[in-house]
Amino acid sequence: MLAMSLALNGVVLGSILLLFSLGLTLIYGVGRVVNFAHGALFSLGAMTGVWCTQLGLPFWLTLIVAPIAVGLVGVFIDWAILARIRDRPMVDSLLLTFGLALLITGILYEFGGRTVQIMPVPGALGGVAAVGGLSLPVYRIFVSVVAIVLTVALILFLQNSRWGLRVRAANDNPEMGACLGIDRERLMHSVVGVSAGLAAAAGVAGAPIFTAYATVGDKILILAFMTVILGGLGSLRGAVVAAYVVGMIIVFGEGYFGGQAALMALFSMVMAMLINWPRGFFGEGRVE
Amino acid sequence: MREQLTADAGVIAGQPPRRGKAILVIAAVAAVGAVFPFLLAGEPFLLMLASYALTAAIVALSLDLLTGNTGLLSFGHAAWYGFGAYAAGLLSKTVTSDIVLLVLMTMLATAVIATLIGAVLVRQIGKTFAILTLAFSQIIFAIVFVFSGLTGGEDGLQGIPVPTFFGLQVFKPEVWFWIFYGVLVISLAFALHVRRSPLGKAWLAIRDNAERASFIGMNVNRLKLIAYSSSATLAAVAGALFVLFNGAASPDLLSWFESGKILMYVVLGGVGTLVGPILGAIAFTVAEHYVSSFTDAWLIYFGGLFVLMVIVAPGGIFGALSGIWTRGAASREAAQ
Repeated sequence: MLAMSLALNGVVLGSILLLFSLGLTLIYGVGRVVNFAHGALFSLGAMTGVWCTQLGLPFWLTLIVAPIAVGLVGVFIDWAILARIRDRPMVDSLLLTFGLALLITGILYEFGGRTVQIMPVPGALGGVAAVGGLSLPVYRIFVSVVAIVLTVALILFLQNSRWGLRVRAANDNPEMGACLGIDRERLMHSVVGVSAGLAAAAGVAGAPIFTAYATVGDKILILAFMTVILGGLGSLRGAVVAAYVVGMIIVFGEGYFGGQAALMALFSMVMAMLINWPRGFFGEGRVE
Repeated sequence: MREQLTADAGVIAGQPPRRGKAILVIAAVAAVGAVFPFLLAGEPFLLMLASYALTAAIVALSLDLLTGNTGLLSFGHAAWYGFGAYAAGLLSKTVTSDIVLLVLMTMLATAVIATLIGAVLVRQIGKTFAILTLAFSQIIFAIVFVFSGLTGGEDGLQGIPVPTFFGLQVFKPEVWFWIFYGVLVISLAFALHVRRSPLGKAWLAIRDNAERASFIGMNVNRLKLIAYSSSATLAAVAGALFVLFNGAASPDLLSWFESGKILMYVVLGGVGTLVGPILGAIAFTVAEHYVSSFTDAWLIYFGGLFVLMVIVAPGGIFGALSGIWTRGAASREAAQ
């Protein structure tokens, strides 16, 4: 029974992780940027949710406003900062996003991020759903559904819209995409914006579960990194599978051995996998 | 910056050894170190700050051994710094208080573990390596909490006895300054020597083009592993000395903010210049002390400076200075 209950929670964590990792994969695919600031954007989303609630916004509105606001911040970051190092070596983008992560964390510290903020679960989503001896808080079911719906929507949008076509073209071959008249600058602005929005959506939807503080995104960033490495850097379907694998490992590890031991088990598994399959589950990750 | 470095190395290697000059440099370095504590005789706190700055300099040098030589970017170097600190702290509480033995045992333990971990890590390049080092530092951080009975967990490792040197207690701040200074100078001399040796040349070849290096018969992974292990070992030495000096270790030593700081020293000073990161670390530690005394929003300035440095001056202080220097030299030549 414990195992079944843990499996359900694994699905919940996996879904949030999936939503979060998609942004990481997207920004890597188009811009070849590994975004170390993605976790800080998660925290920013969670904190924005708390601020909106303090202003008296209803939960539903918060859930929409926070991702859009952080998405705009993402567009601004790309326009103002990331655009400056577009053609520099890979090292610079790693360093830059790392600095950004520290900067955002520092700003959040000044606006109440030093203490843990509780974001209340709305009344309609309170309570616990119990089916055949298994019980799960209703809110967790809601979060999983939101995450899965957003993920499916994004994938459909990538497959069927002109924007998605451009993103996939730039993902496969940025130079060729530019030759065919894709405005890389504008595309990158939109991709970073969407990516930041997804991180914030995960942050604000997860806030009632994980709470909100300046470094709440750090742990999930590490999990997301493990996800994208397991799935292969830049591989979308790899990330989908890996997110649930990581979610299960973490939840089962926490259930049986305690939280920190779960992290160690996950890391050992990733290291072991990298020895033989450095390109992820589907062998389509980039290794350059 | 890269071309310039290789050119510099070529010039140095091509020159006949000037023994008189070398002795002069050594004497000057030794004299500065010997006199420095007496200049700060009335300011015990400043002397302590100087020792902290030197610790930071040793760690910065250790990261530059890896990043500057082979191009591998470690986002989790605090893992080895903290590992050294915890290892030495635990050993001093249980085994011996002799400082030399403690440092040697820490070095041995780190070299073995870093070689095992590094054997998997160095097979990855670029981004994956960077991500995995960050993850590894988080794992070491987690281990401190898993074994909190041993390590003290959140409270840190407390009550580390004063280390001894052949029975004499090492506690005077001047002596500590000299120890840090000596370790830094010896490591720097060693790093500069290695840079000019065949091993150093092979490392630079890997940094510039790993594929070609492997085509001409170099064992790229083994060379990277040597760089990784020696870099980790030097970082652990700094950690060990720090904990014996400080008397306590906290898990903050292992946080990713600490890793970021170490990386910042190297970026600020100039990747691959060896001397630059040392200057970066010293400048940064002193600046941190004074800035954090009048604002607690330190992280904002730190992150902002980091971003600005990467955009404006990717070569760091040293890169910018040597750029001005070569430009000046070129214009002098043109004038002649």
